[in-house]
Amino acid sequence: MRENGLPVLVIGGGPGGLEAARTVAALGTPVVLVERRHRLGGTPDAEHYAKLTHHFRDAEEALGELIAAVTSQPLVEVLTRSEVTACEGEVGNFRVAIRTPEGTQERTVGAIIVATGFQHFDPGRETQLYNYYSFPDVVTLSDMEAMLKAHQVVRPSNGQPPERVAFIQCVGSRDRQIGNEFCSKVCCGIASKQAIEIKQQLPNARVFIFYIDMRMYGYWENELYWPAQEQYKVNYVKGIVSEILPKGDRLLIRGEDTTMGRPMEITVDLVVLSVGMEPSSGTRQMARLLGIAQNKYGYIEAGGPSGLDPVATSRPGIFVVGAAARPADLDDTFATAGLAAARAVAVLRQAAVAAD
Amino acid sequence: MSVATWSPTKAGQRYADVAEETKRQLFEEVKSDPRYPDFLYGCYECGICVSACPSARFYDFSPRVIAQALAREDIDRFYEILMEDIWNCAQCFSCVRCPRGNNPGGLVTLMREVAVRHGLEQAQQALQGYSRVIYKIMLKGNQVSPDMLQPDFFPDWGPWVREFSRNMSAWRKAIPVDTLRNVTDAAWRTDEKTLRELYTIWFETGNMEVIREVDEGLYELLVEIMEEELEAAS
Amino acid sequence: MSEKLIPLAELRERKAQPVRPNPEEAPRPDLREELFELEARGELIVQRVPEPYVEVTTKFGRTKKVPIDHLWHHKSCGQCGHIPGYTTSILWLNRQFGIDYVDPTDQTSCTGWNYYASATSNAVAQLLVMCRNFAAAYETGYYPLIHCGTSYGHYKELREQLVHHKELRDQVRRVLDKLGKPLVVPEEIVHYSEWVHVMRHRIAERQVVDMRNITACVHPACHYYKIVAEDAIYDPDIYGGQRTATVTALLQALGINVADYSTWFDCCGFGFRHILVQRDFTRSFAVLRKIEVMKDEANPDMTVTHDTGCVTTLDKSQFAAKAHQRRVGVPVLADSQVAALAMGAHPFRVLQLHWHSTDWRPLLEKLGIDWQRHWAEFEEDLAAIERGEKPGLTWEDAEQPILTR
Repeated sequence: MRENGLPVLVIGGGPGGLEAARTVAALGTPVVLVERRHRLGGTPDAEHYAKLTHHFRDAEEALGELIAAVTSQPLVEVLTRSEVTACEGEVGNFRVAIRTPEGTQERTVGAIIVATGFQHFDPGRETQLYNYYSFPDVVTLSDMEAMLKAHQVVRPSNGQPPERVAFIQCVGSRDRQIGNEFCSKVCCGIASKQAIEIKQQLPNARVFIFYIDMRMYGYWENELYWPAQEQYKVNYVKGIVSEILPKGDRLLIRGEDTTMGRPMEITVDLVVLSVGMEPSSGTRQMARLLGIAQNKYGYIEAGGPSGLDPVATSRPGIFVVGAAARPADLDDTFATAGLAAARAVAVLRQAAVAAD
Repeated sequence: MSVATWSPTKAGQRYADVAEETKRQLFEEVKSDPRYPDFLYGCYECGICVSACPSARFYDFSPRVIAQALAREDIDRFYEILMEDIWNCAQCFSCVRCPRGNNPGGLVTLMREVAVRHGLEQAQQALQGYSRVIYKIMLKGNQVSPDMLQPDFFPDWGPWVREFSRNMSAWRKAIPVDTLRNVTDAAWRTDEKTLRELYTIWFETGNMEVIREVDEGLYELLVEIMEEELEAAS
Repeated sequence: MSEKLIPLAELRERKAQPVRPNPEEAPRPDLREELFELEARGELIVQRVPEPYVEVTTKFGRTKKVPIDHLWHHKSCGQCGHIPGYTTSILWLNRQFGIDYVDPTDQTSCTGWNYYASATSNAVAQLLVMCRNFAAAYETGYYPLIHCGTSYGHYKELREQLVHHKELRDQVRRVLDKLGKPLVVPEEIVHYSEWVHVMRHRIAERQVVDMRNITACVHPACHYYKIVAEDAIYDPDIYGGQRTATVTALLQALGINVADYSTWFDCCGFGFRHILVQRDFTRSFAVLRKIEVMKDEANPDMTVTHDTGCVTTLDKSQFAAKAHQRRVGVPVLADSQVAALAMGAHPFRVLQLHWHSTDWRPLLEKLGIDWQRHWAEFEEDLAAIERGEKPGLTWEDAEQPILTR
C-alpha cells in the first residue's frame, strides 16, 4: 500500500517513544524521533533504574537493546537535545518546527505520536508529614533505584547500610487534598521489587511496606508479592504512615496497624516514599502546543469518541502513548506504543489514498 | 439487629439497647445535617486518622471506625459509638489529614449535637460538672473567667491556683489592658448591648432548648436572667 | 550508557531544594474567590484587608494578606481570663510599633471552646456568634485580628460552611437582620501569630535581650494549621516549606535555637472538655507525649506556642506530673510573650508571668533578667494600688521597655 512519503513524528525517546518508532519503521514508514535530553532512554535512564519488574531484567541492558534497535534502523532519524516548538496543519499534513542544537528545522509530517511520559510526584507537596526535604534518610523510589543500581543501599545521613527499611505506599496518589485522586498503578509492584532487591543486597535488613491496598495485578501476585513475603520475609502492614520525625539518630514513623486495630510507632533507619506518577512537564507542554485536550489531572485525554481507544487524542492524527495519558506500567507503554504506531501508519496510507 | 451489622455490638452492657427504629432516626438526623457530605466521602480504612489521633492513644477510640461505621450505615455500631465513644474525641482535627477529605472529628461533632439535643443519658453524664462553664458562656459570652480559677475546680493545677485565688482581686487590677483591668466575673468587659445581641442569638437559633436538655435547672435560671435583660432594653 | 553514579550526592542536591508549590496547580478552588462572587451577587459584604499589609504564602503557594495596622483585637476568653500576659503582650507589641487599634467591648468569645467541648450549640448559632463579631468589627472600620488558635480554626471552618451552604447563609441573615447587622466576612481570617510573623524582622531590629543561648521547642497549634490546612503560613525558608512557618520563623529571627523533637505534630491534649472534666487525659497526654519528649530529646529552656489552649494545657499539666516523678519543668510561653520579652517588656507588668504555673525563673535567669528586682517593682505596683494611689496598672506604667540598647 502506498503512503504519501511523509514521516511520522514521535515526540519523546523513552520506552514508549522508542517502541513506537521501532514499530513504525518496521512497517516501512520513516520516523523523526525528537528527544529533549542529550540521549535516548527516557525516565528509566534519567532516574537510573536498576531492574525492571519483568523477571528482574537489568534496566540499562533492556533499554540498551531497545535503543539499539532504533538507532540501527535507517528509517528512524533521531534528534536529541531537540524540542518541538510549533505545530500547524492537520492529519496527513502537520507542519512542525523542531529546535535542534544546530538551529530550527521546519518539517512536514503525516501523523504525530506523543510519548512524553511522566514525572514522579514531588514529596514536598504530600498531605502527610514526611519531611522529605528535612531528613536525609527519607528517600523516594527513584532515589532507591539509583542506589540499587550503584549497589550502594545506604543511609544518606551516615553512609552506613540500614538495618530497618520502611516503604510507604500511595505517596502523592489517591489523595483528594493533593488533587491526584488516581492510583499510580506501578508503585506497589516497584516497592515489592525494590524490597526484594534490598533484601538481596542486605540479607539481614528488615523491610516493611505500609500500604492501603496492595495492587499486585496479574502475575505480579505470584512473581513479586508471594516471593517478597515468603522468601524474603518482607513485612506488609495494612496501615499508612502519617508522620516521620527524628528520634535520636533514627527516624520514628507513626501509623495505625489497622488489622490489629491500634496505633503503631517504630523506629527505622531509612524510609522509601513510593511516590506516584504525574504528567511530566513535557507532556503538559506538548499538550498545549499541539492543542490536544487534557484531563483535570493534566494527562493527555485519551479514549476517542468511543472511550475505548487508548491512543486516540482529541485531534485526528495525533496519538498518545503510555504514561503521557494515564499512570502506566511498561506493558501498557509497549502495548499503546504498538497500537499508536499502527494507527499512525494507517493514517498516512489513508492520506495517500485520499490524495489519489 | 440490623442487617448492616457485621461486628458483635456491646449493647446492653453499659446502656440499655433501644429499638432499631430509634437508632435509625438518630442516624438519619446526623446524616441530614447540611455539613455531613462535607465530612464523609469514602473511606480507605487506611488508618491515617488513627495514626494522628491523640485520643486513639489513650482510649479505645478510633476515628477510622467512626468513618467506616457511618459510611456503611451500620446503625448498631453507630449507636454504640454515640453511646460510648464520641466524648473521648479531643476535637483537634488532626484526622483531617485524611486523603479522601473525610473529617471524622466533624462527624463526632455532628453526633455530639444530636446526642445533646436528645438529652441522651451519656451526653448528660459526659457534661456533668460542666454547668459552671455553660452558665458563663451563655450569660457572659466567655467560657472562662478569673473567678472560676478556684482550688476546688482545679486542684491538680497545683499551689499556684491557691496563690492566685488569694490574690485575684489585686492581680486583676494590675493588668494594663483596659478591657481586662479589674474584671473578675468575665474574661473581659463586654457591653450590655453586645450581651443582649448574644441572648437574641441563643433564643433565635434554638440554642436554649439545647441547654434545657442538658440541665433543666440551669436552663430556667438562664432564661429568667436573659429575658429580664432583653425586656429591660426594649 | 553506564556512567559513574554518585547517587548520594545527587540526592543531597535534590533535597537542598525547598518546596515551592505552584498556586495554579492548587487542588481546590480559592475560597476567597467564592466569597467575592457572593459579594457580587449581593449576598454578603467582604471586609477588605486595609493597607499596609504584607503578603505571605500559604500551603498551596497562594498568597495571603496580613494587615499591619488598623486592627480590631478579637480577644480570647482563655487568654484574658487565665493568661492575661498573653493578651497584654500582643497589645504591648502593637503599641511599641505605633499600631492604631481597637480593643473592643463589643465582642463576645467565638464560643468555640464550648462548642468543641460540649456541642451544646448548633451550626447556625456558631455562625451567628462569628458574624456578629465580624459585623461589630466592620462597624468600627477596623480589621479583625484573631487572638486565639481555636477561634481562628473555628472561624475558618465556619467560613467554609457559610460559603458552601445557602440554607445556612439564609438562616444567619434572618437573625442578623433582626439584630440590625450586615452579613460581613473579612477578606482574610488572620491570626495574631501571623501578624507577629510578618513583624518578626522589625521585632528583631528592636531586640535588646540576647537569646542566642536559649533552646526552644515549638508546639504548633492543631487548630491553627490542621483545620482548613491550606490556610496557614508556609515558607520555603522554614522547614523547607514542609511545616507551618509560624512561630518557628519568629524564634529564628530572634536568634533562638529551635530544636526538633519526635512528637512535633502531636496535639497538646487540651481536648476542650477534657481539660475541664476529664483531666487525667489532658495532663497525661501533655506530659507523656509532649513535655517529656521535648525534655528527653532536646532539653529546651522553654516551649513556645501560639494558642490559648496549648499554653494552658502545657503550662498547667506539669505540676501534677511532678508527683509521679515525671520529667517535667519546661516553662511555657506564647510567641507574643517571647517577642515582647526580647524587646525588653517587663516580665510581670506585661508578660504577667505570675499567672504561669511551670517555673519560668531559670529561663529569665539564663537570659540575664533580674526577675527578683522586677517582681519587687510589681509588688510595689500592687501595694500602690492597694493603698488607693491608683485604680490599677496602666499602659503608662507598662509601656517602657525595662532594658534599652
